[in-house]
Amino acid sequence: MGVVSLRLASVAGALVLWWLLSLAMPANLLPGPWVATVTLAKDFAQGDVLPHLAITLLRVAGGLALAMLIGVPIGIFMGINLRAEKILDIWVMVGLTVPSLCYAIICFILIGLNEAATIVAIGLTAAPSIAINLWEGVKTIDFKLVQMARIFEVGRARILASVLLPQVMPYVMASLRMGLGIVWKIAVLVELIGRPSGVGFKLFYWYQLADMAQVLAWTLLFTIVMLAIELGILKQLEQRLFGWRPRVGI
Amino acid sequence: MSESAAISVTGLQKHFGSLSVLRDLDISIADKEFVCILGPSGSGKSTLLNVIAGLETADGGTVTLGEKRVGYLFQEPRLLPWLTAERNVDFALDGCNVPATRRAELKDHYFSLAGLAGFRNYYPHQLSGGMRQRVALVRSLCVEPGILLMDEPFGGLDELTARRLRVDLLRIWRESRKTIVFVTHNAYEACYLADRVLVMAHGRIRDEIVVQVPRPRDYDDPAIFDINREVVKRFLDAAELNPERPAEDAPALNPVLQSSGGLP
Repeated sequence: MGVVSLRLASVAGALVLWWLLSLAMPANLLPGPWVATVTLAKDFAQGDVLPHLAITLLRVAGGLALAMLIGVPIGIFMGINLRAEKILDIWVMVGLTVPSLCYAIICFILIGLNEAATIVAIGLTAAPSIAINLWEGVKTIDFKLVQMARIFEVGRARILASVLLPQVMPYVMASLRMGLGIVWKIAVLVELIGRPSGVGFKLFYWYQLADMAQVLAWTLLFTIVMLAIELGILKQLEQRLFGWRPRVGI
Repeated sequence: MSESAAISVTGLQKHFGSLSVLRDLDISIADKEFVCILGPSGSGKSTLLNVIAGLETADGGTVTLGEKRVGYLFQEPRLLPWLTAERNVDFALDGCNVPATRRAELKDHYFSLAGLAGFRNYYPHQLSGGMRQRVALVRSLCVEPGILLMDEPFGGLDELTARRLRVDLLRIWRESRKTIVFVTHNAYEACYLADRVLVMAHGRIRDEIVVQVPRPRDYDDPAIFDINREVVKRFLDAAELNPERPAEDAPALNPVLQSSGGLP
């Protein structure tokens, strides 16, 4: 079976499982996949989905950009400088341990109930994970290749761009994917406690009305968009950037 | 030291902390000479090459090179995995500012000399270990170094592949005539390849054997086996010497050599 058909089979299996579970439970507690899809389609038709989805996507993009801007330099610096590692590693660990709810509350109180606070809260929560990923990645850099480049009289700028950067790029890309996964979850939580818009806001709204069909519809929407970005953009980007890598079968 | 020396090293010292890796080391290597430095692990032979190449700085003594450009073949191919064989060579050509007009000719020449004409667009992971090392050899030859330093370049390959590469190396050397300093711990390899074998132990050159087998050489020439036996004997003697003894106390040099003035 091809990769695509394996994927489709796996999705179909999950839907069947969901459907079977919904049969076993009261309809208002766990509606089936069909009910959720119909509910989502109705929301779309009413024009309720896109504005909320768009604002959430903007917050995700902003938060991810900020997290990368903070996390990547810190991670690289920690990987190449032993002193930086010793000074920063405890703070990265602390940053990783503090729950995202704390960042959100602190940012809303200090900065105000606005978009800037939302993005800062998302960025700060995700940055430590990205820093750790890069930190590990930089440690695997093969400095023997730098020695080789020096033998061939290659200049510093070219060594950085053509020898070091390509070795770090796979880790930057991996952090981006991991960061995206984290940022989605934080964004929804932050919206829930401090914003009057977005997917998180809608989820909380339907939770208060105890409307499970709507909760599942919005969850479904979220999952589909997330997968589209992962498979449609990040995966393609990765294949284009790292096409030279050997395929390993296990 | 003769006027035409391609490499002359005098009184070279190198320490790593309290460990002396090179102790007052002298070498003179003539232009277009093929010299093998034979030594056990930890004898300082790689450090010596790194100092000659300028990858490490010495703590004392001088290194004078007759040629500006030095090529280096490492134990590992050290190819950039995200570039094809040809792009890897281009990377070195860029670094050394080889004029664009010369490039196509150089690459054609050395890729076919190394038997890689059909593999220029392959990525390193698509090539065998021996072929990768050939690409590295092409890369180091394409920048037209006057001196080629080689640090156990065939040490990581299986014996059959290594043997083929040794034979090819001599063939390529005969056509391109560079000064080569080849570091190894394989005595037979040294005897087959070199004009002169320098035996290194404890950071000094302890002995020297001239290989007077005419070229082109046959890999299985009994004369090489005979010299190999002699070299191994001297190699073992040198390794057992007290590391603190100065070089002057080393066994008498080969009489043929003393007249040629290879060593002080």
